[in-house]
Amino acid sequence: MDFINVFIKSAFIENLVLAYFLGMCSYLAVSKSIKTAFGLGLAVIFVLGITMPINWVINEKILGENGIFHTDLTFLRFILFIAVIASMVQLVELVIEKFSPALYTSLGIFLPLITVNCAILGGSLFMVSREYNFTQSVAFGLGGGFGWFLAIVAIAAIREKMRYSNVPAPLRGLGMAFILTGLMGIAFMSLMGIDPAALAGK
Amino acid sequence: MHNTRYTLIFTLVLTIVSATILSLLFFGTKDRADLAAKIFEKRAILSSVGTLLDKDVSQMTDQEVLDIFKNQVEQEAVDAQGNVVESAKITQSGYNGGLPEDIEMAKERKKPEDQRIYPVYIFSANGEKVYILSVRGNGLWDEIWGNVAVKSDFNTIVGASFDHKGETPGLGAEIKDNPAFSARFRGKELYDNQGQYTSVAVVKGGVKDPDHQVDGISGATITSNGVTEMLYRGLKEYEPFFNKEKG
Amino acid sequence: MAEATVKEVVQEKEPLFGKKEKKLLTDPLNDNNPITVQVLGICSALAVTSLVYPSIVMAIAVTLVVAFSNLFTSLLRTYIPKQVRMIVQLVIIATLVTVVELILKAFNYAIWKQLSVFIGLIITNCIVMGRLEAFAMANKPWRSFLDGIGNGLGYGGILVIISIIRELFGKGTLFAGSPAALNIIGPSNEINKYWINTASSSGFGHWVGSWYFNNNLMVLSTASLFIIGGIIWIHRTYNKKLVDIS
Repeated sequence: MDFINVFIKSAFIENLVLAYFLGMCSYLAVSKSIKTAFGLGLAVIFVLGITMPINWVINEKILGENGIFHTDLTFLRFILFIAVIASMVQLVELVIEKFSPALYTSLGIFLPLITVNCAILGGSLFMVSREYNFTQSVAFGLGGGFGWFLAIVAIAAIREKMRYSNVPAPLRGLGMAFILTGLMGIAFMSLMGIDPAALAGK
Repeated sequence: MHNTRYTLIFTLVLTIVSATILSLLFFGTKDRADLAAKIFEKRAILSSVGTLLDKDVSQMTDQEVLDIFKNQVEQEAVDAQGNVVESAKITQSGYNGGLPEDIEMAKERKKPEDQRIYPVYIFSANGEKVYILSVRGNGLWDEIWGNVAVKSDFNTIVGASFDHKGETPGLGAEIKDNPAFSARFRGKELYDNQGQYTSVAVVKGGVKDPDHQVDGISGATITSNGVTEMLYRGLKEYEPFFNKEKG
Repeated sequence: MAEATVKEVVQEKEPLFGKKEKKLLTDPLNDNNPITVQVLGICSALAVTSLVYPSIVMAIAVTLVVAFSNLFTSLLRTYIPKQVRMIVQLVIIATLVTVVELILKAFNYAIWKQLSVFIGLIITNCIVMGRLEAFAMANKPWRSFLDGIGNGLGYGGILVIISIIRELFGKGTLFAGSPAALNIIGPSNEINKYWINTASSSGFGHWVGSWYFNNNLMVLSTASLFIIGGIIWIHRTYNKKLVDIS
C-alpha cells in the first residue's frame, strides 16, 4: 500500500517538474519534438528507478551512523550520489549501445545530459530529507521518473502544436515554453486535492 | 592517450584529495554548525514567548539568545506518564548530550507512545512561570512542528511558534512566515468550561468558539488541519505531566 | 547544456585583463545570458527566488562554484583522462559544493535551512557543467575563472530580478530575513522599522491601514516561469539577434 501511495504522490501530486521544477534544463531543451522527448523520458525513468535504491543503500548502510563505519560521513553524500548517478548513466549508455544501436543513435546525445538532470540528484536528496524506507524509495524513483516522463511528453506535444500559432516573434520558442510550463504547473496544482492514502485504500 | 592504469590512479588520487579536504573542513566546522543548529532551535522556542521578551527574537544576537536560555529558562524532560526523567534516561533514549534540549521530536514520534519522552522548557519572567511544550505533526507535504507556551494553569496559551520542512511558500509556509498566524493563538485555552480537554483548532471561514478556535490560512486547508491535529494530539501527550504538576 | 555547447576557444597571448577578458565578464550578462539564452540552471532560479536575500546568497554560492570549478578543471584539463571526464568534473563540482554547504551551515544556519536541498542541486546546476564542458576544458585557467565569474553574475542578475518582483508583489516586503540595515519595505506595525510599511497603521500609507494585499500567485514557484518568460520577451525585443526563428 505504501508503494502505491508514494508512487501516486511522486508521479502526480508532487511531480518533479511541475511542482518542484527539477530537471528543467533538459526538459526545456529536449522538448521540441515528441519522439526525442519520449526517449529521454524513458531513460529518466530508468536511471531514476535504478539510482534511487542504490543511493538509499549507500545513505543508510555506508554514510549513516548506523552504517558499516559507525561514523557520520554525510558530508560525502553529494560526491557518492553523483558518482553513482554518473556511473549508472554510463552503464545505461553502454548497455543500450550494445543491444540496440538504433535506440542509441536516437538517444545518444541525451544520455550524458541525464547525469546533470537535477531531477535525478534532487530525487535522491528528497529521499534523504523525507526519510523514506527502501520500498518507498523504489516507489519514489519509479513514480518520480514516470511523472517526469509525463511532463516532458505533454509539453513536447503542446510545443509541436504551438508551431502553428501566431506567437509574437520575441516570445517564440523558449519564452513560450516557459509560460506554457507555468500554466501546466498551475494545472497540476489542482491534483493536490488527491488524498493518496484514500486511493491506496487505507 | 591515457591508459587504464593512469585513469584509475588519477581518479583515486582525485577522490582521496577531495575526501581529505572535505573531512578536514567537516570536522573543523562541526562544533560551530552544531551550535548554530541549537541556537536556531532556541530562537524558535523563545519566539513562542515573544510577548514576554523585551526584544524581537529575530533582532537578538546569538549571545543574547543563549543568555536568556541560561538565565531564564529551565529545561526538563518528561515521560509519557508525566514523570520528570533523569539525564541518564535521556542518554538511554538515544541522545548523547543527555539534556532535554537534545530530544528530537522526530525520533520520538516513531517510538511507541508509552516509551516517548518530551522536552519541557520553563521560562520565568516577572516571577511568573511559563511552560513551553514541543509538538510535531504532518502538514501537506512533510512534517510540521511547533512550540506552544502555556501559563502555569496549564490552560491559557501565551504564544506559539511553528516551523515546517517543505510547505508551499505563501500558503502552508505561512504558519512560520506570517507572525500574525502564531499570534492568533495567544490567550486561547486548552480546556473548556467543564474542564474537558478540547485543544485549539484551526478553522476555515469564521471562528465560532473564540476560546478554542483560530482562523486558518486561506488556500492551505491541509496544513491548517495538520496544525489542528498536531496540537490536539501533541498537547494531549503532555496531559499526564499537567495533571502531576497541578497536583 | 542546451543550445550553446559549442567550444569557445580564446586566442592566446593577450594582456592579463584586456578586451577579451572584459568580454568574458560582460557577455553572459546580455548576449549569452545563462538563463535566458543558454537555458542553463533553471531549477534553482525557480525554486529559491521567493525571497531576495536567499537568492543573493544562492547567486554568490553559484558564482563561487562556477568560477573555482572552472579554474580547477582548467588547471587539470590536460591531465584528465577522456573516459572519465564527466565523473572527474562532477567530483570537482561536488567537492566545491560541499565546501559551500559546510561553510553556510556553520556561519549562516538560517539561510542554509531555507535553501536546504537547493544547495546540493548546485552540483547539477547545468551552468556549472555546461561552462566546464564548453569553456574550461579548452581554455587557460585565468580566462576560465573570469568566464565562471561572468556566468555566475549573469545568472545571479536574473535571479535577483525575479526575486525582487516575487517578494515585492507576493509578500509586500524586500530583503526579508536579511540583516536589519536592509529592511526597506516590510509588514510591520512599528513606526520607523521599515522605510515603507505595507501592513502598517502608521507611516506611508497609514490612512488605509494595512494597505497591501499579497498576490499569492507571485509566491508560487510557477510565478518565476511567467517572469522568466516575460524577461525573455523584453530581452529579445531589444536584442533582435536572439529571436528564435524556428
